Amino acid sequence: MPALRAEKICKSFRGLFTKKEVLHEVSLSIEEGEVFGILGPNGAGKTTLMSIFSTLIRPDCGHLEVLGLDALQKTHAVRERINISSGNPNFPWSLTVRENLNHSAMLYGLYGRNLARSVDEAVAAFELEPHVSSKFETLSTGLKQRVSLAKSILNRPKILFLDEPTSGLDPDMAMKTRALIQKIYEEQDITVVLTTHYMPEAEELCDRIAFLREGSLIALGTPGELKRALKIGHRIFVEYEGDLDPVKLRIIPGVMDVRQSPGRVEMVFDHSERAVSRIIKAFAEADILDIGIDQPDLEDVFLELAR
Amino acid sequence: MSWQGELNKFLSATYKNWIISKRNVFTVFELVFWPFIGLLSIGLLTRFLQVTDDMVAFVLVGAIALSILQISQIDVAYILLFDLWSKSIKQTFVAPIRGYHLVLGAMLFGVIRGSAVFLILALASSRFFGFDFLAGGLVTVIVFLAGTFITAASIGMAVCISILLFGQRADVAAWSLSGIMMLVSGVYYPVEILPGPLQLLSKSIPLTYFLEYYRSAYGYGSHQVLLGMGLALLYFAASLLILNLAIERARTTGMMLRLSE
Ligand SMILES: Nc1ncnc2c1ncn2[C@@H]1O[C@H](COP(=O)(O)OP(=O)(O)OP(=O)(O)O)[C@@H](O)[C@H]1O
Ligand SMILES: [Mg+2]
Repeated sequence: MPALRAEKICKSFRGLFTKKEVLHEVSLSIEEGEVFGILGPNGAGKTTLMSIFSTLIRPDCGHLEVLGLDALQKTHAVRERINISSGNPNFPWSLTVRENLNHSAMLYGLYGRNLARSVDEAVAAFELEPHVSSKFETLSTGLKQRVSLAKSILNRPKILFLDEPTSGLDPDMAMKTRALIQKIYEEQDITVVLTTHYMPEAEELCDRIAFLREGSLIALGTPGELKRALKIGHRIFVEYEGDLDPVKLRIIPGVMDVRQSPGRVEMVFDHSERAVSRIIKAFAEADILDIGIDQPDLEDVFLELAR
Repeated sequence: MSWQGELNKFLSATYKNWIISKRNVFTVFELVFWPFIGLLSIGLLTRFLQVTDDMVAFVLVGAIALSILQISQIDVAYILLFDLWSKSIKQTFVAPIRGYHLVLGAMLFGVIRGSAVFLILALASSRFFGFDFLAGGLVTVIVFLAGTFITAASIGMAVCISILLFGQRADVAAWSLSGIMMLVSGVYYPVEILPGPLQLLSKSIPLTYFLEYYRSAYGYGSHQVLLGMGLALLYFAASLLILNLAIERARTTGMMLRLSE
């Protein structure tokens, strides 16, 4: 049973005289225990999709199953079993961190010692001990983000939705937060669905990635599959002196592109491993001055897909 | 879900209102200052006009009711207002919580604050204007307060409903509604002096009946408190139903997201 199955989800937002389609027939399935990333340019519909998945808002059409439950009918049961944390989170400003967590835990029906333990664990998991008595309004962006993450594990959700969990954080804090997410993922039997604009983060955390553009799902797969499908290969460049027959390069297995300029040649291969020795042989009549290999990353995938 | 868990869902709104209230300096103003000023000016006005003791009682009952109504309606409206001001509405509505949890929990706090205001005003009016607030017996006071609290909850819900349907600024509409209600329910005068159509309107407002009921103890004719209570409960049930529909509608229109931005 998949943790989440969405079928042809659509959503439009209506103004007084306008109608804007934000999601168009999005279908996908997320397996239990997976870390699933949703990527896409600004306004692609990621937050809207996460909000529909977490039952905060309703789609106009389509079918949604969360943890085997019909998420458009059994909204209450779904809400008990999931949780969400979003970028730039807000909580009642004049409540302290602990009061906010207590309040959220009450919303989830926790009580007594169980409530206290859940709050303590969440505080410990996101290293909030020194800040429990600070009012929410006095916290920095990073701390607010961590309060929101702490809140999102209070009810021990089976699926955790994280909408840009590291947006607005400095690199150090972002790295820490990623490590904390990783830790929660490993310690608890949980499925994570996250969005991010930071590609190395998606590559580091996600097993599979869905790519949204203008409300449509345009690609889905592991980071490796996406790179291969888009023919985003390894770039190899060679700077040289002497003669070169470019045909020798074009016949190397796995070559996708060759571009030559005086004293320099750039090639794209689907894999770099076996190609390098063949390349070096092709330069038998020349002196190689410099050689370099660029690993493709998700950034390239993003740029390619967002175009 | 165990009964303790269910209870805590109710109490979540009480807890939040309590903390915000105890941390807010305006609480003192809401609870003591404004009600007290209101009572005092009305009481002194009756001295100036040299009205009879019965009339003093009549007017003071109105002033007290108005203060209680205001304080306990805002406690219910705070369900959404606090979250609106802190842009945290989605935190509440992504949790497994229902409209009645929020309303009853917030109402509990409204009842506590409203009762405190009643006590303060009743004691002050007895001290300064010789008003015997127990003239009709304790049961009269309790029924009068209960009716006022239930009516207040409906107004609070109306505020929440208009925010969910029409957005941030819509609460003004709901406050105006409660202003009109006060005008026609005869807070400072018998509804008989209102023009015909407004008199008819006043019959549809529960507060009218609770005021008449409390005043009947001071020799102001008959009352139909059961009808008033029936109306109040009817409005309460209807408001709760509409609130739930408004929550669902806000999930469909995306208002739920816009209010959190
Ligand atoms: N509640 C709403 N009412 C009206 N329009 C909305 C609402 N929420 C989102 N939109 C519009 O829907 C589109 C998609 O928004 P969404 O927030 O889902 O994008 P996103 O992919 O999360 O973008 P970002 O990367 O900037 O966070 C945007 O054009 C936005 O203006
Ligand atoms: Mg977004």
